[in-house]
Amino acid sequence: MTEFEAVYYDGRTSARKPVRVRGYALAIQIVGDGLRLDVPLAKVRVDPPVGGTRRALHLPDGAQLQTDDQRAVEALFPRPHAIESWVHRLERNWLYALAAIALVAAFSWWSVVDGLPLAAKIAAGFVPVAWEAKLGEQTLGFFEGKLCRPSALGAARQRALQRRFARLTEGLADGYDYRLLPRNCRGIGANAFALPGGAVVVTDALVKLARNDDQISAVLAHEIGHVRHRHGLRMSLQAAGLAALATAVFGDATSITSLATTLPAALLQSGYSREFETEADDYAFLRLREIGLSPKAFAEIMLLLEKARQKTSGGGPQDYFSTHPATAKRIQRALNAP
Amino acid sequence: MALPIDQGGAANAAALGKRHPVEFTAAAGEYFRIWIVNLALTIVTLGIYSAWAKVRKRRYFFGHTRVDGESFEYRANPVAILKGRLIAVTLFAVFYAISHYAPLYIWAIYLVLLFFGPWLVVRSLAFNAYNTAYRNVRFVFSGTYGTCLGLVLGYGLLTLVTLGFGFPFLRRRLVQFAAESHSYGTTRFALAEGFKKLFVRPYFVVFGVSFLLGIALLVFFAGMGVVAGAGAKAGSGRPQWMPMAIIAGVAVFYALLFLQVAYIKARTVNAVWNHLSIGPLRFESALRARDLIWLYFSNLVVVALTIGLATPWAAVRAMRYRASKTTAIASGPLDGFAQGEAQKVSVAGEEVADFFAFDLAL
Repeated sequence: MTEFEAVYYDGRTSARKPVRVRGYALAIQIVGDGLRLDVPLAKVRVDPPVGGTRRALHLPDGAQLQTDDQRAVEALFPRPHAIESWVHRLERNWLYALAAIALVAAFSWWSVVDGLPLAAKIAAGFVPVAWEAKLGEQTLGFFEGKLCRPSALGAARQRALQRRFARLTEGLADGYDYRLLPRNCRGIGANAFALPGGAVVVTDALVKLARNDDQISAVLAHEIGHVRHRHGLRMSLQAAGLAALATAVFGDATSITSLATTLPAALLQSGYSREFETEADDYAFLRLREIGLSPKAFAEIMLLLEKARQKTSGGGPQDYFSTHPATAKRIQRALNAP
Repeated sequence: MALPIDQGGAANAAALGKRHPVEFTAAAGEYFRIWIVNLALTIVTLGIYSAWAKVRKRRYFFGHTRVDGESFEYRANPVAILKGRLIAVTLFAVFYAISHYAPLYIWAIYLVLLFFGPWLVVRSLAFNAYNTAYRNVRFVFSGTYGTCLGLVLGYGLLTLVTLGFGFPFLRRRLVQFAAESHSYGTTRFALAEGFKKLFVRPYFVVFGVSFLLGIALLVFFAGMGVVAGAGAKAGSGRPQWMPMAIIAGVAVFYALLFLQVAYIKARTVNAVWNHLSIGPLRFESALRARDLIWLYFSNLVVVALTIGLATPWAAVRAMRYRASKTTAIASGPLDGFAQGEAQKVSVAGEEVADFFAFDLAL
């Protein structure tokens, strides 16, 4: 027989009545001032235990017993809820807590390194090309007019570039509407970028920097690689996944802590884009070979771009925060490309 | 803050009632184990267990919050919460997809949210009230969607017309609506008139200070522009300290934002709780802005340094502070509250509101 102190509430008011409870095999007996109640165990519903919080025993008609005598309740109701009683045992043990830390850490690591990019790639497969094009138009709207104006290159020069671009995109039956947009952009320097849906912007500065047109083809092939691998879309999906993950893990602290996750998220993003660059490089090497050009042209233009960058920024090791993998490595890969 | 309540003195302490400081007895270590085990289980079950995790974490916090020796109970059913979460995730995915991939239709989303938001807030408050009990008596929220929508539209328009200066009044009216629509059993909460002035005052203090600081910042940047211009003329190029100064300016801006949030929170929470009463009970809240600033800032730093592992510690610490500054004062016994008519409340509102971060918390 178990016996314990409890507080009895009748379910109608907040009045508390101290009682003594005796637990038998099939019923409990509640005895207090002017109260004597027998309740079959089967009619008592017990909340699963959580931490050291007070136990509540729900009686018929909304009445309730509350007690701090954990042991007595456990003796009477050894497993009030199959799963949560098991969870409660895990929660009480530091060893299981350590195992849980290891599991959470391993999962976080895996999802950041492999899981999220994989999930984003799969999710991107469900996004129609038309939606992707909309995303591209949005981004283009940001550049046009504000940062970039139409190219200042001569008409003949522009036609030559368009012919090169046409040759690179010829026969690519992937549903993208490839367009080359030569632009005169202030503050961006020698650069090229791809937008989701097929628009490729190349700056006048880059066209002037290149020693020959094969080098320009090499850059354009790289940008087409970004489009084909849907990097813009995948990047935005990864960002969303990262935000969802961070909220799931840190969500229940104060909202201020969301600030603490912003910087790591930004660093991870830059790591992702480095992988995308490698993917786009690989595509460029392949495509250049297919149309009879050498990936060496890519190595040459990378070298020129690197020199131009060093001249303006004064050089220095900034690879970690750079979105492009170490240029020397990329040049080497181009030279070694089959 | 000088409150009429505080001016009584010890002589009529007995007449003022029995003081029941709110106790929060949770231990950070214990909550950490609950948090991490439930997080691990959520991962293993691909998120399905998250509903049980939420209920367990809430039950831990509620169970460790005590007034007059009795603890609070969180009674939500995890299965119901799981259903609500599935609805919430679906809606959120649609919202996210439209805002990102079809931004042209974003206005439609905002229109839907404008009318849907108040519904979410009302349903969420009702769900949480229904599932919170103290001394085996449930809380009840009886505010209606119509009232809430009216307030949001009316005061929202006022805020627009006044270029944001109406915002404190929008918040004040919503908080008043939330407070006065709650009952404990059949007994209604009441909010005394005096809270009104105290609630909006901190906003206008912040408006005023921001205005002065804005001018100061403008002068600062203009000054830098002049220096930079002079440097360029002299041929020395941009001074080296320019980027540093800009970073410092931005840092100051965020630090001030932090101060403002903490200040407004401390003052408005005090204003509400110091004027709230129910039956023989009234409350005292003595949050201090400087305490909150330190609390938020140190929590942020520690959580960041521990890559999130200190999150449960931070949550316990924040709640412990809040409890330590809150007191319930009873002018009579707390035995006379009657249970209300229990009407089951569906969970969808609470979970969706949770996802969209709608919050009317006091």
